[in-house]
Amino acid sequence: MDVEALLRGKNPVILDGGMGTMLQAKGLKLGEYPELAALEHPDWVKEIHRAYVEAGAQILCANTFGANREKLRRTGKTVEEVIPASIALAKEAAAGRALVALDMGPTGQLLEPTGSLDFETAVDIFAQEVRAAVKAGADLVMIETMTDLQECRAALLAVKENSDLPVMVSLTYEERGRTFLGHAPAAAALTLEGMGADVIGVNCSLGPREMPPLVEELRRWTTLPISIKPNAGLPDPGGAGYDITPEEFAAAMGELTKLGVKCYGGCCGTTPEYIALLKQALEGRTIRESERGPIPAAVCSPNTVVPMDRVRVIGERINPTGKKLMKEALRRGDVDFMLGQALEQMEAGADILDVNVGLPEIDEGEMMVRVVKALQGVTDAPLQLDSTRPEVLEKALRVYCGKAIVNSVNGDRETMEAILPLVKKYGAAVVGLTLDKQGIPKTTQERMDIAQRILDTALSYGIRREDVYIDCLTLTVSAEQEGAAQTLEALRRVHSELGLKTVLGVSNISFGLPARPLINQNFLTMAMTCGLDLPIINPNMGEMMAAVRSYHLLMNIDKEARDFIAAYGGATISTSITSGGGQQVTAPGAGERSLSQIVESGLRGEAGECTRKLLDTADPMTIVDDILIPALDKVGADFEAGRVFLPQLIQSAGAAQAAFEVIRQTMPAQPEGAGGEKAPIVLATVKGDIHDIGKNIVKVLLENYGYPVIDLGKDVDPEEVVRAAEKHHAPLVGLSALMTTTLHSMEQTIALLRKANLPCKVVVGGAVLTAEYAKQIGADFYAKDAKQSVDVARQVIG
Amino acid sequence: MAAPVTISRVDTDEVLRYMGCPPEKADAQLRALVEGCAGELLTVARPRWAWREMALTQEPQGVRLENGLLLPGADLKGHLAGCCRAAVFCATLGAETDTLIRRAEQRDMGRALALDCCASAAVEELCDQIELELQGKFPGCFFPYRFSPGYGDLPLEVQGELLNLLDAPRRVGLCANESSLLTPRKSVTAILGIAENELEETHRSCLGCPAREGCQYRKAGGHCGR
Repeated sequence: MDVEALLRGKNPVILDGGMGTMLQAKGLKLGEYPELAALEHPDWVKEIHRAYVEAGAQILCANTFGANREKLRRTGKTVEEVIPASIALAKEAAAGRALVALDMGPTGQLLEPTGSLDFETAVDIFAQEVRAAVKAGADLVMIETMTDLQECRAALLAVKENSDLPVMVSLTYEERGRTFLGHAPAAAALTLEGMGADVIGVNCSLGPREMPPLVEELRRWTTLPISIKPNAGLPDPGGAGYDITPEEFAAAMGELTKLGVKCYGGCCGTTPEYIALLKQALEGRTIRESERGPIPAAVCSPNTVVPMDRVRVIGERINPTGKKLMKEALRRGDVDFMLGQALEQMEAGADILDVNVGLPEIDEGEMMVRVVKALQGVTDAPLQLDSTRPEVLEKALRVYCGKAIVNSVNGDRETMEAILPLVKKYGAAVVGLTLDKQGIPKTTQERMDIAQRILDTALSYGIRREDVYIDCLTLTVSAEQEGAAQTLEALRRVHSELGLKTVLGVSNISFGLPARPLINQNFLTMAMTCGLDLPIINPNMGEMMAAVRSYHLLMNIDKEARDFIAAYGGATISTSITSGGGQQVTAPGAGERSLSQIVESGLRGEAGECTRKLLDTADPMTIVDDILIPALDKVGADFEAGRVFLPQLIQSAGAAQAAFEVIRQTMPAQPEGAGGEKAPIVLATVKGDIHDIGKNIVKVLLENYGYPVIDLGKDVDPEEVVRAAEKHHAPLVGLSALMTTTLHSMEQTIALLRKANLPCKVVVGGAVLTAEYAKQIGADFYAKDAKQSVDVARQVIG
Repeated sequence: MAAPVTISRVDTDEVLRYMGCPPEKADAQLRALVEGCAGELLTVARPRWAWREMALTQEPQGVRLENGLLLPGADLKGHLAGCCRAAVFCATLGAETDTLIRRAEQRDMGRALALDCCASAAVEELCDQIELELQGKFPGCFFPYRFSPGYGDLPLEVQGELLNLLDAPRRVGLCANESSLLTPRKSVTAILGIAENELEETHRSCLGCPAREGCQYRKAGGHCGR
């Protein structure tokens, strides 16, 4: 008997039931560690396993659910002691009548971004379990009761990288059909099938009667066998226990054969009796998988699945090419800049975001990882990971949670051999550019040939046909006027003859010509009618989104014009482009307030427009020195005197920030370091601490006063602070910690800065700090609030 | 298992205090911001909680729960004088709240601060409701107010063990990181003493408050208003 044979067979597969509740029934005391039962109560464990085998279970879960080094730490036992003993007991009880799985539950800590456990650390924790289980002779791995798709990915990668064992993966959902973290079954199915899971399922959380909607959703998004291990009903509100009997459980589970569920077992509250009746109920049934339709092309984040069932906009803005501010942000390591770009594009209507952080002078791989993690902390958009370097793509794919798009491969064999295995391993989709070593082919047929070659190679690596997107390449029409028609023809043929999804960067078409938006918009419309699925555009350009929305309306995709009316109902749209080009600035209605009043009142919404108007007549530096800084100073003084309070201080800072953004955009020609740019300040919330709103407030204030801030984020290693202070020659380092448990990290960080002998001062702040304590841990300054940190900066830097 | 709870309001004055602004000094603009943020937060937050009744014994180093877990320190011990049992509970607003605040921080720190403080107020509101719900389960009993790790000399380090005791990661998706900070962030663990006989003064003032040492409001010269 092996797992494959069980899964290939026509019959349902019977799994076992609850272990924890059974151990308690045997007499496991409150305060005993269930993970150690194999060592401390081997007879109980064996009896439970044997009872499940007698009941008909074909796969047993060894008692290893919490046997990871994090959870075992408090018990004084090691993974290498617990896992072999637990698996041996299960195998003994199975006596060849059942297979034995390494049961792998969550680490007990949340991963980034909600928690602070690093992805690679999680992979390592699971890998240790897998290696021990392989040695002990486990037949398969069952990853279960997961609430975080990212933790599932870590566990699955650990299995794939450390064994050849088959692997079942199962998450636990609430009644709303999402995990505690809001992750969707559809996203789990797409992601985990892509990464090579053998079975996908649901366990714990709910009873069998709550399973159908979850199973239905899984069915739509995976071709894999589905497993379910529900609890014995819903928890009884009166106290302990669950609300359905073994008979009811078996009957409800029997209903699920209609949905094609392959593997059936139980979780909390289920006993051998439940499994025995379940087995009876399923006796003689066969499972038909055939009714499942093909799985549509789609990408996803943990919360959001984006199917390619209409035109999906890929936002192009997170890319430093030709963007001075973004280049500066990348050199400074300012990830927030990219996050701002992301949110802006999402609000404008992007479905997917392209992420390119390639700049020769930075470590692209490290930056890519930071940006991908940070983006997934603030947006639900699926990402298109864009780099020419396979090692950067691999780093990004590892930490990206969901199904990403890789941008890109081309028809060149070496590129495909380097990148397609990564696409396969991490379950991504891939963009194939119709070019190769010879460059971009002149004819449509040659482009078709390359597309075919990319498709064939991708299929040979086991990549799904639906996951190959072809980019027929936009040529600049001012340079090669015949090129546009060829691109469109190639697009049409890839769409209709190869049946593949298509991608196209649109904006290049108009390079070097006047009225670029006009050309871009029309070319986009033409491309969509030829079958373009994924335009890569700037969604902040109203014309481009208008073209997409109009297309959806006219093609009867936007039913009842809902999206169109939501976007444009009540708006007046100008369709003309005036010759001469200059953008007309219309005066806003609320033009009466002065900029200093706006900043003092914290009216963020008005600050940008007012500044833009002022710039027509005033020099940028005059606005900064004569209006913004004095207004901020006045608010700061009022704050110190207790006339205004923190919210007003921050709102004023926000208004000033909006004004500075406008000013910065109008000074693109200024070389770096010019204009008397001040020395940078490194800010970090210390290792272990995840409360960083105070640090972020300080950052806004410091930036308003013209200090470039190197923001290292939260939960920052002491070494990273030292590296940043050294690299950027920062005369001042600001550290924050909110909780007593993280003050020692602050102390360590300061000690390390001193040890490195850096000529920098250190200012500290945070709720539990006091001036005395700050002195005690070796800080130079204590700032009791954000305003005081500006005072410290002025004192240290000037 | 805990009955579902919903939070339908947060106390705007409380939010303003958390934001560092005395409620009487807040203008209409600020109040509108807070109210807007409170509404937004309440649509996103997914309150969940779990609890367990535990017998407890007083020991020289602190209070020991029936599962063997020692909650060290003099403050909790003093606080639970007269209690032979306690309801240990945890509550969280869920991960979506953290995401909402993170997202706001990228666009507008003023809104982010308001949302953050609305979330803090909402967790307190949630705990108040839970306290009432739990008190209802023990008719005729008396209760000192809830006590959390980090108050007085009860170390935050017990956070992880309390969550284990409640099976909180599995039941409500609440964990602690390696520094014993709760994740998702807007969460609480607490111990509600249960006494058979009437307790002495449980009036809330800063003098009797075990959180007084690290209290932000006291540092700023104010109080939390309780």
